[in-house]
Amino acid sequence: MKIRCLLVLLFSATLVSSSFGEDVESRLKTLEDTTAKVTGLFGGSAMTNPYLSLIVNTFFYHSGLSQSELDSRTIPGFTNVPLGTRKGFNLESAELFLFAPVDPYLNLYANIPVTEEGVELEEAYFVTSSLPAGLQVKGGKFKSGFGRINGQHPHAWDFVDAPLNYRAFMGAEGMGGEKGIQVTWLPELPIYLQLGIEALQGENDLLFGPDAKDGPHAFTFFVKASVDFGDSSTVLFGPSYVAGKADISTIADGTTFRGDTDLFGFELVYKWKPSRGRGFVLQSEYLYRKQAGDLRTGDPADPASTLESLKRAQDGIYVQGLYQMDRWRIGARYDVLDPFKKDFILSGTQQDLGKQPWRATGALEFNPSEFTRVRLQYTRDESSRDGKADNELYLQMLLGIGAHAAHSF
Amino acid sequence: MRKTAIVLIALLLSAPSAFAKVKVVATLPWIGSIAGKIGKEQVEIATLVKPNQDPHLVEARPSMILATRKADILMYNGLDLEIGYLPVLIESSRNPGIQPGKPGNFDCSHFVTALEKPVSVDRSMGDVHPLGNPHFHFSPARILSVAEGMAGALSVLDPSHADAYKTNLEAFREKVRAKQKEWSALPTKGRRFVAYHKLFEYLAADFGFTITAYVEPKPGIPPSAAYIERLIGTIRESRPNGILTTPIYGRKEVDFLAGKTGVRGIVIPHDVGATPGAQNWFTFMDQALSALVK
Repeated sequence: MKIRCLLVLLFSATLVSSSFGEDVESRLKTLEDTTAKVTGLFGGSAMTNPYLSLIVNTFFYHSGLSQSELDSRTIPGFTNVPLGTRKGFNLESAELFLFAPVDPYLNLYANIPVTEEGVELEEAYFVTSSLPAGLQVKGGKFKSGFGRINGQHPHAWDFVDAPLNYRAFMGAEGMGGEKGIQVTWLPELPIYLQLGIEALQGENDLLFGPDAKDGPHAFTFFVKASVDFGDSSTVLFGPSYVAGKADISTIADGTTFRGDTDLFGFELVYKWKPSRGRGFVLQSEYLYRKQAGDLRTGDPADPASTLESLKRAQDGIYVQGLYQMDRWRIGARYDVLDPFKKDFILSGTQQDLGKQPWRATGALEFNPSEFTRVRLQYTRDESSRDGKADNELYLQMLLGIGAHAAHSF
Repeated sequence: MRKTAIVLIALLLSAPSAFAKVKVVATLPWIGSIAGKIGKEQVEIATLVKPNQDPHLVEARPSMILATRKADILMYNGLDLEIGYLPVLIESSRNPGIQPGKPGNFDCSHFVTALEKPVSVDRSMGDVHPLGNPHFHFSPARILSVAEGMAGALSVLDPSHADAYKTNLEAFREKVRAKQKEWSALPTKGRRFVAYHKLFEYLAADFGFTITAYVEPKPGIPPSAAYIERLIGTIRESRPNGILTTPIYGRKEVDFLAGKTGVRGIVIPHDVGATPGAQNWFTFMDQALSALVK
C-alpha cells in the first residue's frame, strides 16, 4: 500500500515536473519572440525613430598674425568677409543629423549644426525614392548640387577649410543650405551621367544677397559623369552653372552692389583604390564668376554716395591630392585666384588690386577608427594681396556618434 | 485597325519583360555566385564589390549607382555589413523596384539566424555589428536557406520561369548536401585556431572547431605592438592549429606571429574570387576547409 502510494506520488510528481518544464520552455519561447519582435504601444515606436547622429568638429588654431590682423584679413576685389577663426581653441560645431523614410515614397533629412552662437537649420529636405525613369526630386532647404565641395558637409572635407575659390565666390562654407527644389535625372546609359536643375531662393551673401529679389531667382544646372578604369580607378567630372540676381554688400566695406551673377564651375575627381588600406584621390575645381551691375559707395540715402558701373569677371582654381596608407592620410593642396581672368572694371577702368592671392596647404591625418579623425594642417596663406603672408597651423578633431551615415562618392 | 495597332504596341512593350533576363545586382561576390546557381541562364548578374575589396570599407562608386539603377533585384548581405554605402546606392539609384519593402530588395540575412547578436553594444567595443556577425556565407546550412529565398524572390519577379528556379534550387540543394558530407568528413572537429578578424565564426560553429583568440584586439581595430607581444606568449603556450587570416588584410601581422611562434599561418579566402581557385561558392568553401586541415 505504502509502495503504491509512493509510486503514485512519484508518477504525479514527474508528470507535474515535466509539464511544468514544458510550460517554462514555452513561456521562455514566447518571451523570446516578444523581445525579438518589439511589440506594445511604445515599444514599437522605438523602431520608427529616425536615425540620429552627431558630429563634433573642434580644432586648435595658431597663426603668425595677431587676432586683430586676422579679423581684418580679407581678399580685396573678391570679398570683405574675414574667416573669423580665433587663435587658440575653436568649436566649429556639433552637427546633428536626422534621417528616415517618411513613407514608401519619400526620405527626409535634416542637418542641424549647433554652434556657440546658436542653433541653425542648415538643411531640411525630402528626397523622392520611387519616381520612375531615373528621376529624383529634392525639396526644402538643401546644399546645391553645384560643384563638389559645395555639396559636402565641412566634416567630410579633406582639409579643415574650404579652398580660396569657394571662399572668394560663395563664402567659407560654400553656397550653404538654400531653399528650393532640385530635379535630377540618371538616364540608363552605358556610363554614369547625372543631370540636374534647381530653382533656388538665392540667399547666399556673396552670390546673391538675401534681398536680391522677391521669390526664387537663382537657377542652377549641373552634369556629373563618371567612368571606371579597371577595378580600382574612377573618374568623376562635370560642369556646373548658377545664375541669379545680386544685391550684396560683400565686395568692399561701405558698398552695395546690385546686378547679375553668373558662376561657372568644373569639377574633376580621380580616385585610385588598389587595396584595402591604400588609396589616392586627386581633386580639382575651377570656378569662374561674372558679375555686372552698379556699385554704390556710401549710404544709399546719403546724396554724397557715388554710383559706378562694375564688371567683375574673375576665376579661381584648387588642386589637391590625398594619399592614404592604412589609418594615415597625407594631403597637399594649392589654391589660387585670378589664374586666367582678373577683370575688376569700375566705371570702365580695370582696377589694380594688388598681388595674386594664393595658398599652399599640407595636412596629415590619423584615423584611429571610422568615427574619429585627427588632422594636423599647415597653410601658407598669401591671399590678402598686400604681401603680408600668414602661416597657419590647425590641429583638428572630428568625432561622430550615432547612426552610421553612408557617404557618397 | 487601330485596335490591332494598340495590341501590337502593347505586345511590343511587354515583350522584353517576357524574354529578357532578370537583372540581378549582387553586392558581394558570394551572393552573385549563389544567384548564378539559382538563376542560371534566366539572370544577368552584376557584382558591385570586387573580391580584393574589404566589404566593410567600400565606397559607393557612381558606376555602382548606375548598375543599381538598372537592377530588377538588388541582393545584399544585410546585418549592416553594407551600411557604409548601400543606403546611398539605393537612394541614388532612383530605382523604385529595389527600395526597401519591394520584391526587388533582397536581404540575404532575412533567411538566416545570426550568430553573436550582442545583448548591448556601443562603439567602444570596436566595429561590432549590432545585428549579429554578418559573415554567414561560410555556413552551408544558411547558404541553403538564402538560396531558397532567392528562388522564391526570382519566381515572384519572373513567374514564367518559376519552374526553372525550382529545378535549379533542387540541383543546388543536392550539391550542397553531397558537399556537406565531404566537408564534414574533414578532420576539423576539436581543432583550435587564432583568427585575425571575427570572420570565421560560422565556419567554426558548423565544422566544430574553436577560435580561441583574435589578432585584432577589437573588431576593426588593428593590434598594437604590445598586444602582439602578449599574443605571442598566448600562442606559444596554447599551441593552436593555426592562425587564420584572409588575402586582403592581416597578412603582415599573421606572418609575423607565425614566424615568432612556429604556428602555421593560414590564408583563407574571405569571399568567392579572393584566391585564384575559389571561383564559385563551392570551390571557395573547398579552399577554406581544406586550408584548415592541410
